[in-house]
Amino acid sequence: MAMVKVPEQKVILCGEYGVGKSSIFRRFTNNTFVTATDRKSTLGLDNFDKIYRIGDRNIKLQLWDTGGMERVASITSSYYKFSEAAILVFSLDNPSSFHTLSQHLLDIVTYAETAKIFLCGNKTDLVTEPPQISDAEIESFCEQCHSLITNTYRISCKTNEGIEEMFTDIAYQLVNSNRARLELQSMEKHGFKITQSTEELSDDSCLC
Amino acid sequence: MDEEYDAIVLGTGLKECIISGMLSVSGKKVLHVDRNKYYGGESASICPLEELFTKFGANAPDESYGRGRDWNVDLIPKFLMANGSLVKLLIHTGVTRYLEFKSVEGSYVFKGGKIAKVPVDQKEALASDLMGMFEKRRFRNFLTYVQDFMQDDPKTWKDFDPTTQNMTALYEKFGLDKNTQDFTGHALALYRDDDYLNRPALDTITRIKLYSDSLAKYGKSPYLYPMYGLGELPQGFARLSAIYGGTYMLDKPIDEIVLGEGGRAVGVRSGNEIAKCKQIYCDPTYVPDRVRKKGKVIRCICLLDHPISNTKDALSTQIIIPQKQVGRNSDIYVSLVSHTHQVAAKGWFIGMVSTTVETDNPENEIKPGLDLLGPVRQKFVSVSDYYEPIDDGLQSQIFISQSYDATSHFESTCLDVLDIFKRGTGEEFDFSKIKRDLDLEEQ
Ligand SMILES: Cc1cc2nc3c(=O)[nH]c(=O)nc-3n(C[C@H](O)[C@H](O)[C@H](O)COP(=O)(O)OP(=O)(O)OC[C@H]3O[C@@H](n4cnc5c(N)ncnc54)[C@H](O)[C@@H]3O)c2cc1C
Ligand SMILES: Nc1nc2c(ncn2[C@@H]2O[C@H](COP(=O)(O)OP(=O)(O)OP(=O)(O)O)[C@@H](O)[C@H]2O)c(=O)[nH]1
Ligand SMILES: [Mg+2]
Repeated sequence: MAMVKVPEQKVILCGEYGVGKSSIFRRFTNNTFVTATDRKSTLGLDNFDKIYRIGDRNIKLQLWDTGGMERVASITSSYYKFSEAAILVFSLDNPSSFHTLSQHLLDIVTYAETAKIFLCGNKTDLVTEPPQISDAEIESFCEQCHSLITNTYRISCKTNEGIEEMFTDIAYQLVNSNRARLELQSMEKHGFKITQSTEELSDDSCLC
Repeated sequence: MDEEYDAIVLGTGLKECIISGMLSVSGKKVLHVDRNKYYGGESASICPLEELFTKFGANAPDESYGRGRDWNVDLIPKFLMANGSLVKLLIHTGVTRYLEFKSVEGSYVFKGGKIAKVPVDQKEALASDLMGMFEKRRFRNFLTYVQDFMQDDPKTWKDFDPTTQNMTALYEKFGLDKNTQDFTGHALALYRDDDYLNRPALDTITRIKLYSDSLAKYGKSPYLYPMYGLGELPQGFARLSAIYGGTYMLDKPIDEIVLGEGGRAVGVRSGNEIAKCKQIYCDPTYVPDRVRKKGKVIRCICLLDHPISNTKDALSTQIIIPQKQVGRNSDIYVSLVSHTHQVAAKGWFIGMVSTTVETDNPENEIKPGLDLLGPVRQKFVSVSDYYEPIDDGLQSQIFISQSYDATSHFESTCLDVLDIFKRGTGEEFDFSKIKRDLDLEEQ
């Protein structure tokens, strides 16, 4: 059982239910889109790694979905721990998902103090004319947040618009801001993950 | 809430969260409810610090304590054994991916008024000041015997039958004196009283092997402790449950367990909502009339601005005070964690002294432990009853976990959980199942 340092950059999805977090996760993992929105469609989604190449460097984004906990209860504070970035998602056709962003933002800054925060408006395909949420509103929200928000994106999981660009930009922002940090990260500050050694993998699945 | 579930789980303590995770993974439709608005119940880590002070009715902490949010204080102290069953459960369920750990730096035992490092291998045994010269030799032979011992190979038993002969006989075979027996039984095998001496030696040998195997994993001590505190453990299992479809509701008082024919549970009522179910799993606080008191435990949380003396300034330690050293029937446990685990502000330490209550003056009972800590800036004492269910739940389909007693450790936690799962579902939990699923998912 080796002590494994975790080089992944944990990126979490936050926001109201139904805004498309699991859909973003699905695009990230296998570039698919499903229209069904029952509880089942979120089942089993946990986290997924993908490597991005930024200039001469590789960075591994590990995207996490909420597991649907936000439906009725609150998300556990654990979900936020160790995250390097948070994607704060709202739905461009749903003003209330936009107006409740500050609560989610508060959770992020409370439990994941050092995480970079990215704002993401999903469902561009459903935007009407005039838009349900104006650009001015979005800008003023970012201003109110005292530039806590690193960047803003507009995407559609349905049409796949802007998704790859968003993740590439997040990877780029993390590489740049973390250049120094990534190199300095040491076992000192961090703990280690328990992993299973190969010899134990072959061992039976009994607990005794 | 007005829906029908296979199982409703009440309380989000560690045991209930593990059960909830196991049920969801097994394909059951689970509703998991807590009356509090936070996860973890008694196994929560309290954050921010102000909340801990409020909980115990103390005046708010001054600024020397740093930022309140940098604190996560456990209400129930425990470490994980690196090779123990909770770690196995974490690995098999994949919950380990949500957590990070640090090894506990030192393991000490109290002897003759001071503390000494628990020797764990032959080299340390020879350097230890716990024993005289000749005793060291004998102890080394004993450790070698234990290390070479293999249960399925009687040749390694060396003319001793550990399945019938007791531990006293094994100690005698190696000529170990009472002091050595004391720390072997309490600091290596982690027994809390001396009953083990009269039982077959096999269990003790297995425990000592566990101790040294655990130690071999990460070095400094056999214990692990999660970053951000033990409260991360129930949360990790809650996430597992949610990932597999479990529904979570917090801040939901439960007014009644609804019974049907033959006293079988058919649902729970909260206000005028009723959720139907076939089974209920819960901790004792949700069913006061279905549990009985088993004993009392005292726990004292101590906030310190310095490490413990004579531990080489370790940032985390465990000290066991064997019952006999202080004239008691149960051991006193002292544990220390600190800012390095993100559970306290920079420069701060959290000491915890706990034991099973034996007298009318429990605070006096933990004095030997408190004395080891040195000056304490703030102290919070709690004495709590611990409960066990009055029946196996098969009739009522209400399966109740036992409280976390002083004597409770993660091993009994896991055993209780596996036993409840088996009673509730009629089958052993299939660990291979989740592992396969998670592997697939990761591809
Ligand atoms: C602050 C603190 C307080 C503690 N208080 C107590 C206490 O009041 N009473 C107490 O007994 N222990 C106490 N301990 C010891 C500790 O809880 C356990 O021994 C240790 O945590 C075991 O970890 P685990 O459950 O992860 O490993 P386990 O999963 O328990 O290890 C697996 C194997 O170890 C054996 N084992 C190890 N320890 C024990 C044990 N104590 N009882 C039974 N089997 C055991 C089991 O046979 C099991 O097969 C305390 C430890 C700390 C740090
Ligand atoms: N038109 C359109 N629909 C979308 C888009 N993204 C997601 N949806 C739909 O929005 C609904 C909710 O999406 P989810 O991904 O399940 O949302 P979520 O935030 O994960 O929600 P929960 O898991 O239920 O908490 C689904 O029906 C999706 O099909 C989009 O870009 N355009
Ligand atoms: Mg979802």
